[in-house]
Amino acid sequence: MAKRPGGELATRPLHFIWIADCSGSMAADGKIQALNTAIREALPHMRAVADENPNAEVLVRALSFGNGAHWHCSQPTPVADFKWTDLLADGLTDMGRALRLAAEQMHMPPMTDRALPPVLVLISDGQPTDDFASGLAQLMQEAWGKKAVRIAVAIGRDADTEVLQRFIGHPELKPLLANDPESLVRHIKWVSTAVLKSASAPASQAGGLPAGQNVPIPTPPVVPTDPQAADDVW
Amino acid sequence: MHQLLTLGSTHQTASGHPCTIEAFLGGGGQGEIYRVRVEDRPLALKWYFPEQATVAQRRALDTLIHKGPPGPGFLWPLELQDSAAADFGYLMPLREARFRGIVDLMKRRIDPSFRVLALTGLQLAQAFLALHTQGFCYRDISFGNVFFDPDNGDIAVCDNDNVAVDGGGASGILGTPRFIAPEIVRGEAAPGIQTDLFSLAVLLFYLFHIHHPLEGRREAAIRCFDLPAMTRLYGTEPLFIFDPADDGNRPVPGLHDNALAHWPIYPEFLRNRFTQAFTAGLRDPAERVRESIWSGALARLADSIYYCGHCGAENFYDAGGPAATAPGICWSCRTALTLPYRLRLSLPGTGAHQVVMLNHDTRLYPHHLDPSRRYDFGEPIAAVERHPSDPGRWGLKNLGSANWVMTRSDGQLRDVEPGRSAGLTPGVRLALGRVEAEIAG
Repeated sequence: MAKRPGGELATRPLHFIWIADCSGSMAADGKIQALNTAIREALPHMRAVADENPNAEVLVRALSFGNGAHWHCSQPTPVADFKWTDLLADGLTDMGRALRLAAEQMHMPPMTDRALPPVLVLISDGQPTDDFASGLAQLMQEAWGKKAVRIAVAIGRDADTEVLQRFIGHPELKPLLANDPESLVRHIKWVSTAVLKSASAPASQAGGLPAGQNVPIPTPPVVPTDPQAADDVW
Repeated sequence: MHQLLTLGSTHQTASGHPCTIEAFLGGGGQGEIYRVRVEDRPLALKWYFPEQATVAQRRALDTLIHKGPPGPGFLWPLELQDSAAADFGYLMPLREARFRGIVDLMKRRIDPSFRVLALTGLQLAQAFLALHTQGFCYRDISFGNVFFDPDNGDIAVCDNDNVAVDGGGASGILGTPRFIAPEIVRGEAAPGIQTDLFSLAVLLFYLFHIHHPLEGRREAAIRCFDLPAMTRLYGTEPLFIFDPADDGNRPVPGLHDNALAHWPIYPEFLRNRFTQAFTAGLRDPAERVRESIWSGALARLADSIYYCGHCGAENFYDAGGPAATAPGICWSCRTALTLPYRLRLSLPGTGAHQVVMLNHDTRLYPHHLDPSRRYDFGEPIAAVERHPSDPGRWGLKNLGSANWVMTRSDGQLRDVEPGRSAGLTPGVRLALGRVEAEIAG
């Protein structure tokens, strides 16, 4: 018999979706392996952050795009149970198609009417080969798509940062540049922890938020840059 | 994935003792925590990230270490530790494994009794009173910084390096969302003792309701729970879910069931304190419930617990409240409750009374019988016990060192020596040292 009435603290869902580029170029120089490693490395830290915030039920999914786009992990999975299956690289860069799939999931239903801001993380090393603009437009037509915290990680020098910037939609926030595996690990960990924390329990901002932004995004980690070495890896 | 210190390495403490890094315990926004050994003593070492190892932080730690802990229950900085570079950390006691986080309570991974929760809340109020009395404020009372022993209510307050002298100027620390006082959320005030009192009240409400005091209909109406929504709910338009003058934010069944399940079972004196904290205290920091008022209410709450004779659940006797004469039904099994005998204590010189339910396991402590030792729940000095040969009779056993004097209902006096028990009979009066008591049936 329980000693006290009631149940667990009421929660709101927080949907966290990885949107990962699996185009053929990701197969070069171990980029896809580095991404798989970075996400695996970040997961325990992500779980710890989620566990510290009993108000949020963090649900993770993953979407990949190459030739078309498909759900790599389709079910919103509690972060404690989420297991990463390695992505494989092959094909084109159908980023627009990926955003359309994400948009379908931001529609109500399947989205519930009460939630924390979703977090969408777009990771890419190249230029979209399909109609990116209409995919983004479809995402932004959804109320939850507009409210989502949208973060982008650019892998390597060939990533189209202009496209990633349009996905983010806020001029103050820039795509995170990952020019080597170490910085990719740091960025993925930052997204999985600091951004997740901010989306689930945003700290009060003495000066208010920039126009159009509904979640304060913490300062990304400073990645030490060594101009000599920057191009050596990828 | 620690990155600041190497496991197995040895450093010198400020006092010149060798300190060996044994294990990585965890990381946060400011730095990393390690388990270390200084000579034979296991301790914790917090090491700051370089950007957090500021002169101001070092000066604050110097002050805290110099002052020493304000009372028991604080894992207080013991000593600074430097490195060859400009970065530094500090040593503090390790948190014992018996302490569990408030998050464990929120997720129902632990199931402490109401009595333990009352003692936990009491100790928290006492700890923050001690801190505030020293002129310090904590600035971030929340889920992550407070731990408690679910078996006895002992507490461990962590992250004391955020403690600062009240009014000492802006530091960048605003606190934790949902715990921050409305005037800070609105950008009108900086954290200090008065805002600590708000955060303490929120933490106590969470302890006793597994719910936030401002999350009712207004929270239910929010679709996307983002910062602008939170600023309205906790800052610009806060409204207590049980505000007696405004029912516009009542809990919504199905969404806020914990609040609805807990609130009615508490005695009126406790509900009144929460009402004060989140009505007048919401609007005017000077109207907030002081720590000593919480201590008094929570000690009284522990004394008002009695058990359902059917299922054993803890229920509360509302002495002086509307339910004092009619005990009502058990919140758990919904059967009618029967009141046990009560001990009505008259505190000397105050004219005040307190009522202690005489359950099979009730203990009286210096808190009850020695006005100079309020909130001392150390060694019991009286205990309810069954008669050794007549199991149907119960008595109050003298565990102290001085005689009690019992006045029977016919006026006869009897001594109750240490080790002996006074039978529980309604109308019997007991002189327990300086406190007069009467058994009520």
